[in-house]
Amino acid sequence: MNVGPTIALFPEASFGAALNCVGIARALKARGARPVFICHAGFSGVFAEYGFQEYHLPLADASAPETYWQDFISRHQPHFDLDPDDQIETYVAPTWDAIVETAEQAEAPLFALLQRLRPDTVVLDNVVMFPAILRAGCPWVRVISCAETELPDPNVPPYLSGLPGDDQAQWRAFAERYNAAVGPVHARFNSFRTRHGVPPLDECRFLEPSPWHNLLLAPSILRHERQVPLDTARFTFLEGCVRQEAPYNVPEFAAGEGPLVYVSFGSLGALDTDLIKRLIAVFAEFPARFLVNVGAFRDAYRAVPDNIILDQWFPQPSVVAKADLFIHHGGNNSFCEALYCGVPSLIMPYCWDGHDNARRAVETGTGRWLHRAHWTTKELVAVMRSALEDTLMRETLKENARRMVPENGVDLAADQIIAVAFRGSEGAAPMIGFPDAV
Amino acid sequence: MGPGAHLPEQFLATQCNVSRTPVRAALKLLTKQGLVEHETDKGYRLASGVSLAGAFAEPLPDPEEAELAARIIRDRAARRLDETVTVGEVMRRYASDRRTVLKALGTLAEDGLVSRAPGQSWVFAKLPDSPESQSDSLDFRLILEPAALTTPGFALDQDRAAALRRAMVTLLAEPDDRLDGNRFRRLDLEFHMLIARGASNRYVSGVLVAHHRLRGLPGAAVSSNVVRLRQAMHEHLQILDHLESGQVMVAADLLRVHLRLSRSQRPRAANRGVPPLAIRTTSHDR
Repeated sequence: MNVGPTIALFPEASFGAALNCVGIARALKARGARPVFICHAGFSGVFAEYGFQEYHLPLADASAPETYWQDFISRHQPHFDLDPDDQIETYVAPTWDAIVETAEQAEAPLFALLQRLRPDTVVLDNVVMFPAILRAGCPWVRVISCAETELPDPNVPPYLSGLPGDDQAQWRAFAERYNAAVGPVHARFNSFRTRHGVPPLDECRFLEPSPWHNLLLAPSILRHERQVPLDTARFTFLEGCVRQEAPYNVPEFAAGEGPLVYVSFGSLGALDTDLIKRLIAVFAEFPARFLVNVGAFRDAYRAVPDNIILDQWFPQPSVVAKADLFIHHGGNNSFCEALYCGVPSLIMPYCWDGHDNARRAVETGTGRWLHRAHWTTKELVAVMRSALEDTLMRETLKENARRMVPENGVDLAADQIIAVAFRGSEGAAPMIGFPDAV
Repeated sequence: MGPGAHLPEQFLATQCNVSRTPVRAALKLLTKQGLVEHETDKGYRLASGVSLAGAFAEPLPDPEEAELAARIIRDRAARRLDETVTVGEVMRRYASDRRTVLKALGTLAEDGLVSRAPGQSWVFAKLPDSPESQSDSLDFRLILEPAALTTPGFALDQDRAAALRRAMVTLLAEPDDRLDGNRFRRLDLEFHMLIARGASNRYVSGVLVAHHRLRGLPGAAVSSNVVRLRQAMHEHLQILDHLESGQVMVAADLLRVHLRLSRSQRPRAANRGVPPLAIRTTSHDR
C-alpha cells in the first residue's frame, strides 16, 4: 500500500488554532497524506473526534486545572476590561511567561515524540517556537492563525496594540512599553533557545518564520499594505480556513422574530457569565433572535428570555452561515468564519489579537467594535442596529464571501504543506536564515 | 392487527416512547370515537367492525396537557423556567387553567422529570444537559446496555432493525453539508431503544427506555461533528450486523467500544497560556 507523507500538526491549546488545523488536516487526508495531531496536555479529544490520531504531551505537573482556572479568571477578569496598552503588564507579559514555561516543559517530551514519529513535515500553529521542532531534522511549516499583525512590518501596527493604521507615534509608544514589559520574558525564552542549540531571536519575537513555508490566515479584505512585501515563495496568504460541519437547523424560539444573531466569545469568554447576563438583558428587548454560546455554564442562567437560546456548543461555521450578525471576541478564526459567510461582525475584544481584529473590522468596513465592558444599553442597541441595517457593509461582505468561498484556504494550505513534505524528502533543505529574515 | 385485538397500555407506551398517561388519554379518546372498546377487567381492544382506513381521516387532537407538558420541559431545558416553579407561575406563563397545569405537571412527574415540593411548588429533576451529567449518562449506559444484550433471552425486533438499517444507510449517503444532526439523533435514540426493548429482563428494559427518553429531551443532545456522526452510524451498523448473525457477545463488545468513543473529551475551556480545563471523566478513560 502506498502511504502518503506523515504530517504532524501541532496547534496551540486553543479552539481557534485547533479547528483551523482540523480543516487543513481534512484536506491533507483527502490528498492521501497521513495527518496526525500533537496535543498539549489536557487539550485532547478534539482531534480524535474528527477521526485523527492524537499524540499527547504529558502533563508537566499534577496541579488541578480547575483551581488554576478559577485563579486565572479571578486574577484576569478585571484586566480584560483594560485598553490594550494597559494589558501589556497585567495580561500580555504574564501570558508570554506562561507560554514560555509551557514550551520549556514540552521540550523534552516533544523531542522524544518527534524522534519516534519521524514525521515528513511538522505544521506549527502557535505563537512560540519549540526548539524540538528545529532539532527534529524535518521540514516545518508555520501557520499564523492570529491576525496579520503577528508578522511585523514597518507599515503594520504593533501586534496586540489594537492601534489604527495611521498613527506611528502611538505605535512607537506602545512598542516601547511592550518591549520593556515583555523583555525579561523574552530573555528567558532566548536563554531556553540557546540551551537547546537554537539561535536567539530579537525584538521580543517568540517565533520565527519558517524557511520552508508560512501560511497566514489573513483574508485579502483585511490585509495591510506592507512596506516589505512577503516573498510568495515562502509566504502564502489564506482566505480563511473554514472547515465543513453538519448543517445547522435553527431551533424554534419560544417567541420573537427578526434577524438571527449568533453570540460567541470562545471558551474563555463563556466563563464571563456576568458579561453574558448583561448582554442577555439587552437582547431581551431587541427585535431579533439570539443564539448564545455559554459553554459548560448553562446552569448559571435563569429566566432566559423567549427570543434567546443558549447552548453549550454550536457547529460554528454552519451557524454563522445562517446568521445576520455575529457578535464575537475578535478571535481570528471567528472573524474569518464571519467573512467567509459574508456576515458582519460586532467585535467585543477581551485580549490579544482580538483588539487588532476589532480595529481592522472598523478600518475595512467589515464590522463594528464595542468595548467589552464600557457600554450602555443605548450604545449596544445602537451598534447592533447599525450593523444589521448597514446595507453597504452587507453588500461588501457578500461580494467578498463570493470571492473567498472558492478560494477556501484549507485546500491551498494542504497543497503547500504536501509540497514542503516532498521537497523535504528530496533533501532540498532551504537556507535557514536567523533571525526572522522576512 | 385485526378487530378485537388487545391493546395493552404499557406496550403502546413503550412503542410510542411516551408514558402511560397520554396512551390512556388517547385510548379514551378512541373509545369515545367508537374505534376502541374498553372492558373493566380486560382493558382496551380494537372495536369490532372498524375500518382502519376511514378511522383516521380526521387528525387526532393533541391533548392539551400533553402539549403543555412538552412546552414546560422545553422551557426548563432552555432555562426559561427556574428549577422550582409554582403552579401559579406556570398558569400565568402559559395562560392555562389550574386543572390543565396540574395534569401536565402530573404527566412530567410520572416520567420523573418533576416532583412536588412543599406548598404549590414543583421541582425539576436535573436534565442530562451538562457535560457532567452526559458523562454520567455514558457511564450508566456502559454498565447496562451491553448487559441488556448479553443477558439470555435478548430478542431483536428484526423488522425494526431492518427499517433502522435502511434509514441509517440513507443518511450516510448524504454529503457532509446535508448530514442532518437531528436526523442522526433520532436514529441514534431509536437504535439504543431497540437494544433496550429487546432486553429479556423487564427492569433493565424499563430503566433503559426511561433513560433514553430523558436523552431525547430538548437540550440533552450531545453535539458531535460530522465525522463522529458518520463513525457512530458505522458502529451502529456493525453492531446490527453481529446481532443479526447471532454473535451477541461480539455485538456487546462493539457496543462498549461505541459508547466509549461517543464520550466527548473536548476541554471545557482553553486559552493561550493556560492549561485546558478538562471535562471530568471517569478514571478508566484517563
